[in-house]
Amino acid sequence: MTEVEETLKRIQSHKGVIGTMVVNAEGIPIRTTLDNSTTVQYAGLLHQLTMKAKSTVRDIDPQNDMTFLRIRSKKHEIMVAPDKEYLLIVIQNPCE
Amino acid sequence: MYGSPTSTRKQALFAASPSSQTRKSISFNPSKASSGKGGYAGVNQSRLVTSRTMVSVPEIKPAEKLNISSTKTVQVFDVRGIDVTPRPLYHPDPLVGTAKPNKLLTSQEGSLGSDFISSYSLYQNTINPSMLGQFTRSVLGSSTVSKSSVSTTESMTEDLEEPAYKRERLASFTDVRVLRTTPETTITKEDLEKNIEIILTETETLKFFDLPTVMFSVESEEAEKITQKNNNYEILCRNRLGNDLYVERMMQTFNGAPKNKEVQCDKIVMEEKGIMATAWDLYDSFNIPEALLSAKQSLVASRGNLLANDQDPNQQDSETSSLMDIENVILAKVHEDEEDNSEAILKSEKLHQDLFFMERVLMENVFQPKLAAYRQLPVLKENEPGEAEESLEKESHEEADDEVKKEDEEETEMELELEITTEQSTIPANLERLWSFTCDLTKGLNVSSLSWNKANPDLLAVGYGNFGFKEQRKGMACCWSIKNPMWPERIYQSSYGVTSVDFSIGTPNLLAVGYQNGTVAVYNVQSTNNIPVLDSSESPHKHLGPVWQVQWIEQDRGTTGDDKREILVSISADGRIVKWVIRKGLDCHDLMRLRRTTAASNKKGGEKEKKGEALISRQAPGMCFAFHPKDTNIYLVGTEEGLIHKCSCSYNEQYLETYRGHKGPVYKVVWNPFCPDVFLSCSADWGVMIWHQETLKPFLSFYTTTYVVYDVAWSPNSAYIFAAANESRVEIWDLQISTLDPLIVNVANPGIKFTTVLFAKQTDCLLVGDSDGQVAVYELKHMPTASDTGRGDVISALLGPKTNQPG
Repeated sequence: MTEVEETLKRIQSHKGVIGTMVVNAEGIPIRTTLDNSTTVQYAGLLHQLTMKAKSTVRDIDPQNDMTFLRIRSKKHEIMVAPDKEYLLIVIQNPCE
Repeated sequence: MYGSPTSTRKQALFAASPSSQTRKSISFNPSKASSGKGGYAGVNQSRLVTSRTMVSVPEIKPAEKLNISSTKTVQVFDVRGIDVTPRPLYHPDPLVGTAKPNKLLTSQEGSLGSDFISSYSLYQNTINPSMLGQFTRSVLGSSTVSKSSVSTTESMTEDLEEPAYKRERLASFTDVRVLRTTPETTITKEDLEKNIEIILTETETLKFFDLPTVMFSVESEEAEKITQKNNNYEILCRNRLGNDLYVERMMQTFNGAPKNKEVQCDKIVMEEKGIMATAWDLYDSFNIPEALLSAKQSLVASRGNLLANDQDPNQQDSETSSLMDIENVILAKVHEDEEDNSEAILKSEKLHQDLFFMERVLMENVFQPKLAAYRQLPVLKENEPGEAEESLEKESHEEADDEVKKEDEEETEMELELEITTEQSTIPANLERLWSFTCDLTKGLNVSSLSWNKANPDLLAVGYGNFGFKEQRKGMACCWSIKNPMWPERIYQSSYGVTSVDFSIGTPNLLAVGYQNGTVAVYNVQSTNNIPVLDSSESPHKHLGPVWQVQWIEQDRGTTGDDKREILVSISADGRIVKWVIRKGLDCHDLMRLRRTTAASNKKGGEKEKKGEALISRQAPGMCFAFHPKDTNIYLVGTEEGLIHKCSCSYNEQYLETYRGHKGPVYKVVWNPFCPDVFLSCSADWGVMIWHQETLKPFLSFYTTTYVVYDVAWSPNSAYIFAAANESRVEIWDLQISTLDPLIVNVANPGIKFTTVLFAKQTDCLLVGDSDGQVAVYELKHMPTASDTGRGDVISALLGPKTNQPG
């Protein structure tokens, strides 16, 4: 548990990281560094997108599975590591 | 008790019929005549009514259903004594109604033990009459009752018969009821999870409608009879007109006055359920074992009903429900479940792994240009104008623009080597610092050794420990990955300074670490455990002084028939070179004892000096060793006396050769990877020397500074290039270009000493460790291309007309 906390802290302190959150499957934030409304918004939207992306990957080949999702936009990059029980979301501003 | 209300009603009915008042006929389903839904012949009523008729006795409390007396009923009689008691309009549907009837029903069911639906309704119908006071007659819809008096009496008589029968049955039922008390069953989770067997069987065929055919084939057997009949009928019809047998007569039937009755039922809740069968859905359903499915179903059941189904990750299908709404889901949470889950999630291995990947991804984002330069990939160009100055690699399709814009810049990519020669003269070779491996833990520690992993070229082992005896601090061995320059992958702490690290060749997950206290330990980097797999601290022949170098050597064991066997060799300040073999523990074996040799005599060592200087110890502390790349039996040893000895594994007492040149302890000896006879050494006497195997005096010596040279390394790409780290700077020498001056000099920040150098194999990068705990990665830029010369040329180039400067 502490290792996880340590890693989360390290990730949050990296350059350009705007926010880190771990939400469970229903969208309840477990750990988050942003405020609740933003977290809930991100969680809800990203959950749907993740499901869709995962469904797409698996439709093409059912033995395949999606492991990571990165959305790069003009302002930031959103990185999502999905799982059955949780979503790990990190928002980073990659331009130094 | 039971009969009286009915008898009153029956009387009412009797009285009613002649006055043509409408009454509903109360008919009870005889228990015998049911396939459940059979109606009375002659009673035109809706079947539902017949199947669910009950007696209503208002104002009788449920508890007293056993003692049913008509004394409490209010009955209204009209002038003629006809019972015109108004009956209530509202008749609760017994099926949907209260729990008690259910209980009784279930109890009856339980007592009778039948699950069948048809018989259920049967029992229900028979029980209902017993629930006096609970049930009222249900009349569904408006039903026009038109019957003939004949039928009424018929039904009456039948009804009359029944109560007697019913009473008996009821008595038995009541008895049964009294005897059995059903336990209150609360539905538990196990019940929900339990597999409920629903047995579907075929019921008897119920004929609802039978319309016999009126058409027969001409060829059928009855055709003749039918045609005969038809003919007879025609004759009859013809005869009918004037016949006396057929007289027309009028008749009037009673029309019952209809009464409208409205019923309101509960709102029927509609739920939509949609399932999308996708390819992976089908795949999952086939491939996931049953047990897993049932486990997940239980999880599903335990969550609240308001959960949107498609948000439930444990469901196998992707179902949508019309109740889905994300906000509702979040608001209507069952919180107890969530708390358990969040803890479990945080502890889960998968999260740990995901975090690990996430960190790497972040690193990649942050360090992308640097890492790309390291790996010699085209760097993603950010759209910033200020970066024109930097030496970013461009995509190949932008070459044309680049040449115009950046004439000064040199491309080090393979495709563009042709341009290098023209532009070489303009830009001097230099070291560009990419990044450095450092973190809080390593701050302030002295980097004592570096080693690449043999299997994974991205993995680097770094040992931290002080060189001097006075400044003893805790030491550490870390494994860093190129993919994460900000935090080491593995940290192995120890109370002694680490002086040397090396990765194994045969088993690349083993890391050998030499300590300041003479211990040699082997770690398994697959685990993060701080305890080494093997430790030499209990070995009887362990080292007594700091272990200055450890290295894994693959030795040809041709004689014993084995393939290359790997041994660990260590050298330490107690003057022994020890071979460690991993059998049941670390088993050691002396390869060589380093004897002191006097400087004056040219004798090969091994002779004991009886007279002469009084020596504190006969052993000479060894500082470094290097096995010959081609012949692993031969190795060089650098000692603290400044001598370099060539030794063989076959002799552990004598030296083959001794090379004298250095005046101070020799810190590093390295063979040239391209030219097998040439080796390089560096020492505390500020000098770097190049030797040839055959010659006992150095060929070239370099004294550029007045600082101790800690480390030297040959470049893996070129036979002429080597790097030297002394206290104040890192020098890159290219012997092809000049033997007097280094090609590149990188000066250290004040206060920091460079202690180690290591070349990276596939790239043009150099790692430099310093005394502040940083391992900086530099890229060698604009290096002169290695001219493709054969070995002979190399030697002659190195050793030819160059002047010999003995140190």
